[in-house]
Amino acid sequence: MIHFENICKEYSKELFKKGAMALRDVSFALSEQQTLGLIGANGAGKSTAIRLIMDFIRPDRGRITLFGRAGADVQQKRRIGYLPESAAFPANLTIMDLVRYTARTCGLSTTLHKERSTALLRQLGLWEVRNKRLRTYSKGMQQRANFILALLNDPDLLILDEPMSGLDPIGRRQIIDLIQQLKTEGKTILFCSHILGDVDRLVDQLLVLHKGQVLFNGQPADLLDRFGAASIEEAYLALIAHQTGGHQHAA
Amino acid sequence: MLRNLSSLARLVLLDGLRRHALIGLILLAFGLEAGGLLFMDFIPRNIGRASADFILSVGWLTGFLFLLFHAVQAMAWDEERRTIHTLLARPISRTQYVLGTFLGLAVLLLLLNIILGLLGYGILTMIRDSVKQVYFPHLSLPHYLLSWIGLTCIELMILAVIMLFSGLVRGGFPVLLLTVSYYFICTGLPVVRAAYASRLEESGSALNGLLVGLTILFPDFSRFDFKALVTSSATGTVSHLLATDFLVLALYLTVVLWGAAIVYQRRDLQ
Repeated sequence: MIHFENICKEYSKELFKKGAMALRDVSFALSEQQTLGLIGANGAGKSTAIRLIMDFIRPDRGRITLFGRAGADVQQKRRIGYLPESAAFPANLTIMDLVRYTARTCGLSTTLHKERSTALLRQLGLWEVRNKRLRTYSKGMQQRANFILALLNDPDLLILDEPMSGLDPIGRRQIIDLIQQLKTEGKTILFCSHILGDVDRLVDQLLVLHKGQVLFNGQPADLLDRFGAASIEEAYLALIAHQTGGHQHAA
Repeated sequence: MLRNLSSLARLVLLDGLRRHALIGLILLAFGLEAGGLLFMDFIPRNIGRASADFILSVGWLTGFLFLLFHAVQAMAWDEERRTIHTLLARPISRTQYVLGTFLGLAVLLLLLNIILGLLGYGILTMIRDSVKQVYFPHLSLPHYLLSWIGLTCIELMILAVIMLFSGLVRGGFPVLLLTVSYYFICTGLPVVRAAYASRLEESGSALNGLLVGLTILFPDFSRFDFKALVTSSATGTVSHLLATDFLVLALYLTVVLWGAAIVYQRRDLQ
């Protein structure tokens, strides 16, 4: 479903700012109905990878294909649900305005979009506040609003950028349950997170990025076995320590 | 394509209306026009011409403020707050983003001009009824409408340029500075051409070519200025000249928006 082949991305220089290499020769693939967890520290390149998949930025080298077609083909976004890292709404709009925008651009019929939006707004607890401006929403409500927009078109592929960031334990539980439910429904999910406890529970496949390079790509059990670790967090820290130690040794 | 454009334009329109972008500007224009009424008594003659000029100048100032402080900022906010990611996460191309946003802002501008135009016509009628006919002999509604259409055309050209600048540079303030510079060049260039008109014949085609070339980039806005006709008793306007003006407008908008779309297509979003 997603093929990310030998991608290099450097953020170009700006005034008083150095250029920075965000991804170096990164490759991975995500098959249908799989859940891939993209993990790494801040600045590892997780969000860059997601922005490349969403075609917000373009790779310097390499090739991205989604559903077997070039990543830049906008029509594919009918089949994608995207959850941004932080709420990014025009401040004076309501969730209903954005629901209408999503429905119309994705070509949903009025009946279907009303049916789906009502169900999602009720399920995620935003029905009562649907006509309030999005700027009055709390962080958790904004994240749920983002989920409604991402799921409205019943996408085959979900791309979630830090879905649990900034949420309280109840909000996190709600989002984890929702992702579990989507997994059960057979959706393909790619999500990035630095909350490794959540990743542990959700993913079938793990991609560890560090300073723009792939350190591990495979099943979580393999990573645990490699370091004899009890949790993903432990294994991740051991992997980073191993890598850093390796580099120091090489230097 | 049209459905995508109208969906995006609707969001831009709603956001602008709820931001009270229009109400503030309408109140400002009303305040200026009401204040201006107090000084009408000091105009010794040709009150009609002076008041029509004043009403349209206030309309122009208000539209220009809208462009600089709403249109420029709306584009910058989209990128700085990453709203553009939410919008482009849907099956909408970057070209459609440029055109849809332009359309939404243009509708807001049109609404502003319609409201100010109605307000201005009411004030002009009031002034005409309150002074002797010799000071305000004629008020032509078709020419008044034409003047507002001309004003809107200039504002649309500046709006298209704002779309282009917003793609070329990041941040609202640099776009604002570039837009103001662009406007000053556009208004200054005809003066330069007039000043050197006599010398051009002597200095040959190079300078002439340069000035004409610059006029393509920085159009002469005075061709859309029909203020003088509002109170003139001349009937009719030369329709083929008007057709040329509107053809220039259509061409300019197409080229600039096409350029803006290319810039957005090629660049990384912040």
